[in-house]
Amino acid sequence: MRNYEIMFIVNPNAVEDEIDKINAQLEAVITSGGGQIQKIEKMGKRRLAYEVDRLREGYYVLFATAANGDIVKECERRLRVMDAVIKYITVRVDDDVRRLEKIRKYRQKRAARRGSGAAASASGQSIEEAMQ
Amino acid sequence: MRSPREKRPAGQKQYYRRKKVCKFCVERIDSINYKDVKLLSQFVPERAKIMPRRISGVCSPHQRLLSDAIKKARNIALLPFATE
Ligand SMILES: [Zn+2]
Repeated sequence: MRNYEIMFIVNPNAVEDEIDKINAQLEAVITSGGGQIQKIEKMGKRRLAYEVDRLREGYYVLFATAANGDIVKECERRLRVMDAVIKYITVRVDDDVRRLEKIRKYRQKRAARRGSGAAASASGQSIEEAMQ
Repeated sequence: MRSPREKRPAGQKQYYRRKKVCKFCVERIDSINYKDVKLLSQFVPERAKIMPRRISGVCSPHQRLLSDAIKKARNIALLPFATE
């Protein structure tokens, strides 16, 4: 199980009922697959940064779940075929952990460099080195 | 120990030049969320291109997190794509 966020945009002309139905469908896919729902957030209508299907605004919904790849794939498939859903994205949220570790190390290295007298010569350290 | 730049008498101007620092390091922001439009939009000026590091001063690991988040935000229409 991994943590995923599924965010999707519903046609703003959809009624509340339709949105609830979509949410219930996704919820069923997730729970029947053995996943967990952490949060369902109806973010509401907001202006789109660019036109999607000739629409200027959309109704945003966010699902936070613990799930596996199969569950997420099935959610994506469902979202794709729902007429009212104009766009969706799934984001894995827990590979952040690994990157956070990298940043912590990078910061330590930089702090150490600043503390030493070799500051000037070490400033050319490569990005690759820092990212390892 | 002092760096060569600090020793140079004519280097006063350089010494006082504001050093660019990574906003995320300074504010100890360790994860950059694609939903945080207010934060992200600070790094996508006018033509919606991602601001380069040399201008923003963002360090390389944070720049990577930042550009990943911006790309996700664009994908879900929270931020615009770059216009030609
Ligand atoms: Zn940084």
